[in-house]
Amino acid sequence: MRLPKLIIALLFFTLIGTAQATTRITWWQFWTDPNIKPTIDAMVDEFERANPDIKVELTDLTWANGHEKIVIAFSSGMGPDVVELGSDWIAQFADAGQLADISGDVSEDSAGYQGWGMATYRDRIYAYPWFLGTRLMFLNQDLLNRAGYEADFLPFNTDGFKEVAFKVDSLGDDIYGFGSNTVEKHRLYKKYLPFFWSAGGRIFTPDNKYCVISSMQAIGALEFYKMLHDSCGFVGTQREIEDAFLDGRIGFIISGDWLLKRIALENRDVNMVLTNVPGPKYPGKSFLGGEFLAVNARTEHKEAALKLIRFITSPDNQVRFCKANHSANPSSLVAQEDEYFLENEHLQAFIRQIRASVHPPVDPDWVHIEDIIEEAVEDALFGSGLPATALREAQIKITELKRKQ
Amino acid sequence: MSGRKKTALLLASPWIVTLLLFWTVPLVYSFIIGFTDYQLLKGARWVGFSNYVELFSDEVFLASIKNTFIFVFGTIPITTVVALGLALLVNGQFKGRAVFRAGFFLPSITSMVVIALIFTSLYERGGYIALLARMAGLSPPEHGFLYNAGTALYSIMAMDVWMSVGYYMLIFLAGLKAIPDELYEAAEVAGASAVRQFFSITLPLLRPVALFIIVINSIKSFQVFVEIFVMTHGKFDTSTMVYFIYDAGLRTDFRLGYASAAAYVLFVIIALFSILQFYLMRRRRPLW
Repeated sequence: MRLPKLIIALLFFTLIGTAQATTRITWWQFWTDPNIKPTIDAMVDEFERANPDIKVELTDLTWANGHEKIVIAFSSGMGPDVVELGSDWIAQFADAGQLADISGDVSEDSAGYQGWGMATYRDRIYAYPWFLGTRLMFLNQDLLNRAGYEADFLPFNTDGFKEVAFKVDSLGDDIYGFGSNTVEKHRLYKKYLPFFWSAGGRIFTPDNKYCVISSMQAIGALEFYKMLHDSCGFVGTQREIEDAFLDGRIGFIISGDWLLKRIALENRDVNMVLTNVPGPKYPGKSFLGGEFLAVNARTEHKEAALKLIRFITSPDNQVRFCKANHSANPSSLVAQEDEYFLENEHLQAFIRQIRASVHPPVDPDWVHIEDIIEEAVEDALFGSGLPATALREAQIKITELKRKQ
Repeated sequence: MSGRKKTALLLASPWIVTLLLFWTVPLVYSFIIGFTDYQLLKGARWVGFSNYVELFSDEVFLASIKNTFIFVFGTIPITTVVALGLALLVNGQFKGRAVFRAGFFLPSITSMVVIALIFTSLYERGGYIALLARMAGLSPPEHGFLYNAGTALYSIMAMDVWMSVGYYMLIFLAGLKAIPDELYEAAEVAGASAVRQFFSITLPLLRPVALFIIVINSIKSFQVFVEIFVMTHGKFDTSTMVYFIYDAGLRTDFRLGYASAAAYVLFVIIALFSILQFYLMRRRRPLW
């Protein structure tokens, strides 16, 4: 009878030993799309094989309510060890002391990646850039040809763009010059901001003390956008605009790399050219955002969490991810030089635009500020407000918000 | 405690525990945090009645109250009258009656989200309703009915009437079936016209049913949310009280204390309305 007891005891201690040796870390991420989820799962498996002492528990979030879930989890002290955050949210979590300061851990990586500015709050770094996101101009080459332009013609500034948009718009009742977004949260103001930045607009003064969103440049940019919207705009949701563009009914639209993915997955044959968002001078500046990986300030496994992040954001894995997701914006500079990007002119256009893009201020109240900007744009486009009045009101509201801060 | 009482308590305990955990505790907790500046990620401080004071100087909240009242007082009379009219129609004897009953009832068992998405499409600039308006010589809003502060809320109200009228029709129909035929026969013998029969028999006897419908419809209408969330996100002057609560508490800055205070304002409004309606239901003298 002694032998079975001995075996049980040995098994028990072996299991205890194994359990103690394994570090379990949790990772919450948003990539649930069937095209990319298997790649994420495979990367986690590979990481676990390469690091047998670390086990990763993966949780999928959705864009519909992922932000709420993360906020509630962190508020209740049950946040994951590693979390994917949109660039707009980093300051909010960092300001609340929920993210680990990783400034000292990323020095060796900093030169190889873009996007650190969005992860830096009060001179400390709180997240790793994973993928960047920007928007650029998609042109329907067939419509431009029908409007009388040469095959290689590209408008390079706002004046040229306006002229072409109007010419395309005059091709027929069901043809529009420009795709203008209707009221959709997080969509509309992101279409205005490229014109705003390209015109030299700023949200705050360089010292971040005063809101200056109703500057002459900002008003001019909104008046220009409104003119396109009213005069030659196809007004619809982003999806409707993209549908109409793919059907050959819109000359120009502003979109992101998700449209490349859609075109690839649906095997659409579109004669199109991608170019920078137009500004008064070339190149225009677009909106820069991105997906970041951050570490929970309360984690007991910071090293393991950083190890996972470095693995996931490594150049090879970024290229792999981009191929699976048809993404165009790796944060790794090494990944950007991969053949996959170099051989594709559309992906190259995205990489060029990223280098001429501006990210919004890293402010814990940004989600509130963007709401105010969005309301101003809505008021100017769909309400009774003049661009100058709408932006002036936005400036007052943002100033009041900062004063409360 | 007798064994019988113990058994009863044991059997009721799942419900009691559920009630305490998921209803009573949150109700009390939200009342308490309504007096704090509780914000997710930032903690809480006791602020007394500050949230309530702020609410009644918050233009968005006041607009939300106004919109909620427009929604309630705009939809309930129309829904009630149309539901009664449909109930009277399908109560008659005619071929295909069951098809009409099912057809009118169908929207009320369809998902609100699905209906809201369909109507969003119908209300678009190039949608069928704009097309019909143009055919009738009217000029629809430039960017569609939902992208105009003058038409957005009323468009949602119209959809809500269309959706809920079938359900209330069925309740009226049940009320009509409960009216004894002898009353109508006696009225006919006495020479009463159909209109007289309606106002002297049908309507008075349907009073409890009508008041029941008004009570449940008003509670539902005060809580209107899904339509607003799906169709306009509270834009174009369509924010209602529940949408405001959601927006303040769970969307932008997670001000749960402020949202809880707003929820209690809504609670008081619904409670006052319900008390008024119960008072009217108990009146011996008929309203009509």
